[in-house]
Amino acid sequence: MSEHGPPADGRPLPPSPDAADCPISPGGTVQPGRRSFLRGMLGAGAAGAAVGVAWDARPARAADTSPAAQAPVAGPADPQGRLPAVPFQGVHQAGILPPPQRQTIALAFDVTAGSRSELADLFQTLTERSRFLTAGGVPVPAGVTGPPSDSGILGPTVVPDGLTVSVGVGASLFDGRFGLVSRKPAHLTTMTPFPNDNLDPAQCGGDLSVQLSAGSADTLLHALRDITRNTRGGMQVRWRIDGFSSPPRPSGTPRNLMGFKDGIANPDTASSTQMNQLVWVQAGTPGEPAWTAGGSYAVIRVIRMFVEFWDRVSITEQENMFGRAKDTGAPLDANSEFATPDYADDPDGAIIPLDAHIRLANPRTSQTADSRILRRAYNYDRGVDAVGNLDMGLIFTCYQQDITRQFETVQTRLINEPLVDYISPFGGGYFFALPGVRDQADYFGRALLA
Amino acid sequence: LSRISRRRAAAVIVLLAGLLAGCSGSSAPSGYATPEANVINVSASACGTGWRHPAAGVQTLEIHNDSSAVVEVQLIDPVDGSVYTQVEGIGPGTTRSMPVNVGSGQYSFTCTGLDYGTRMGPVIDVPGRVSGGTAILPLTSDQLNLITQEASAYVARGLAALVPQTAALLADIRDGNLPAARIVWLTAHLTWERLGSAYGMFGSYDDAIDGLPFGLVGGVNDPGFTGFYRLEYGLWHGQSADELTDPASQLDLDVQNLRTAWPGIELPPTQAVGDLALRTHEILEDAMQNQLSGLDDFGSGTTLATFAAGIDATRAQLGILYPFLVTRYPQTSALYSSLDQLQHLVGAEKTSRGWTPARDLTTAQRDQLDAAAGQTVELLSPIPVIFEQERLIP
Repeated sequence: MSEHGPPADGRPLPPSPDAADCPISPGGTVQPGRRSFLRGMLGAGAAGAAVGVAWDARPARAADTSPAAQAPVAGPADPQGRLPAVPFQGVHQAGILPPPQRQTIALAFDVTAGSRSELADLFQTLTERSRFLTAGGVPVPAGVTGPPSDSGILGPTVVPDGLTVSVGVGASLFDGRFGLVSRKPAHLTTMTPFPNDNLDPAQCGGDLSVQLSAGSADTLLHALRDITRNTRGGMQVRWRIDGFSSPPRPSGTPRNLMGFKDGIANPDTASSTQMNQLVWVQAGTPGEPAWTAGGSYAVIRVIRMFVEFWDRVSITEQENMFGRAKDTGAPLDANSEFATPDYADDPDGAIIPLDAHIRLANPRTSQTADSRILRRAYNYDRGVDAVGNLDMGLIFTCYQQDITRQFETVQTRLINEPLVDYISPFGGGYFFALPGVRDQADYFGRALLA
Repeated sequence: LSRISRRRAAAVIVLLAGLLAGCSGSSAPSGYATPEANVINVSASACGTGWRHPAAGVQTLEIHNDSSAVVEVQLIDPVDGSVYTQVEGIGPGTTRSMPVNVGSGQYSFTCTGLDYGTRMGPVIDVPGRVSGGTAILPLTSDQLNLITQEASAYVARGLAALVPQTAALLADIRDGNLPAARIVWLTAHLTWERLGSAYGMFGSYDDAIDGLPFGLVGGVNDPGFTGFYRLEYGLWHGQSADELTDPASQLDLDVQNLRTAWPGIELPPTQAVGDLALRTHEILEDAMQNQLSGLDDFGSGTTLATFAAGIDATRAQLGILYPFLVTRYPQTSALYSSLDQLQHLVGAEKTSRGWTPARDLTTAQRDQLDAAAGQTVELLSPIPVIFEQERLIP
């Protein structure tokens, strides 16, 4: 915490905790009971102190008393359809490898914290809230100290419902405001537009990304309100997109809103070898700051689908554009969804066209094996656009060790694929999903800020 | 850009190579698992066997290629060769679904492979008095050639009209007469739109002449942003004649070069008709998405004029196909009624003060236009399927 200083753009510093408030002890652990962030961010108003008290005590209590917090592995859903807790702590963030849950909210935030220590406060609050929300439990009553500490939309006891909270940092966080220029992950840039993109700056980028995923929409909205309430002064929503993953229809991989199974061919998340080759940044990677080990680059691309148009296209064309049968999801040269297409046996594209999406995206050669990505896409539906067309599409999300080597290489192969006439990428960003929160003393970004 | 050029190549290769190579007698049963009932075998030696209990009704036939070659399969009426449905590019050992509404009557499968051309399987009788889906009669090669010639001549006439207009645009800009340039810009842009070039008919010329800045790193200031929209942006954003001379000169040159290149860059008749049919549908899809919405307004507020020109282009393509369409598409007159209504509605947005910018449409106006345009493209969307050029009488 030695790099306190004025923001690069010369803005005056907001009230900042002094060194005594620094939550990091020399040993790198979090002091219990810290509330500097809340004082700094929320404490300006008369109610601030009271709110701070209630907030202050709650996370530790909840984490300590909730049985779910101790559960090492998610068990079966309870009869209400609520999912068990997903353990929050670990070497990696818990929300990255699992298959898409039924519901998700992806957001990017602009950080308004005015200093590095306030940024640390923000990360610690985000950690504390995530720890509580993913474990569940009874919120600490506010009594006569203030308004209720919880929105109550999950009832008196917060259910975990499989909630995961994935936090990433964008390139703009490393712009000098927080003295982090030298800490920027080697491959983290602002998302570059590809030909045929139609990126809207207001729906792109951001200093932080937060993706909430769970079994039900109310669980996510509860978490969203809790997190934004507790971080009000430190970050503001830049863009938000809500998504869902469909149940298998009738089996196998969920379908996207073009009617095709999406995300069939992914690296094997059960293989630590593959994950270490393709997803997680490894310790000692040349050029990467040490703190990035265990994290992963996340690419979010919000892609509108022109579904009215798509529904007016023949089945032959649709299948040739994807390279898969629409009914079964099988590659056009095979009989089952998970079969591997044999491009060597189809060199002219007589069966799977040479520019079919699956063929360009993953040519299945040894040369292209290290460009594979872990896809975690969700569907989105947000009503109608300004001219009355249905506004739905895909929240394409992928994780990888190196954006240049992986996502950008894949996307470059896909430039001008036939599908581009039916889709329009307009939002999202590149983020670095932070390493996991390892223990009770750890917090998001601790190594980054250390 | 890609829809037309992409999907055609492979299938046409299959067909033409089949015709050229004649029967080389290749058939290599692979000993794949014994087919079950209603799994139809398709290969050179056994085309369309295995439909054990033919019955009318909506059903999904499983088409299994037990040979070692890629097969394209059609379900046809053996009496006149009209086609009920088809599955392209079935690989060796692969089973694909063929959903079909089977009525009472006679059916046969055809199997087309690279090594043996097209073979017809046994005639299959479906008993009863049940009506099913509709079959489409393929075009003859004479018909294909006729359509292709007419379409090519239409484009040639349009390009001949366009060349002096882009030259005049350049001249006005060189003279520093920007008010005149704005008027001739619109005239030339509408002439271009009436060509019906949606989806890459002119290859790289499309991007040069009518490209958009979306996806370019520098956006509207990107040096790769050229053509009509580049000039529109400058003419309506206070750029000087000097700034616009190079882009206008480039457009003039690109249009001249395109006119010279045409019809050398045209597709062969086997592809050109399918291409024409796709454009008949997609000119308005594109115009709806980009012009009716106002998305492609770079300052002139004339996207509804461009949309109207897209209707003209659609009518021109339809006119070429009409003699062959009207006998194959029962909704032809409904389509024309819908186009008439759409044209009437759009035309009403041209007033004595010029075209209404799309952004100024009231909700009621927009609803009317969107409904008419949406209904029209729904009615246009069967045309590419009806004229898929794989379905040719060899």
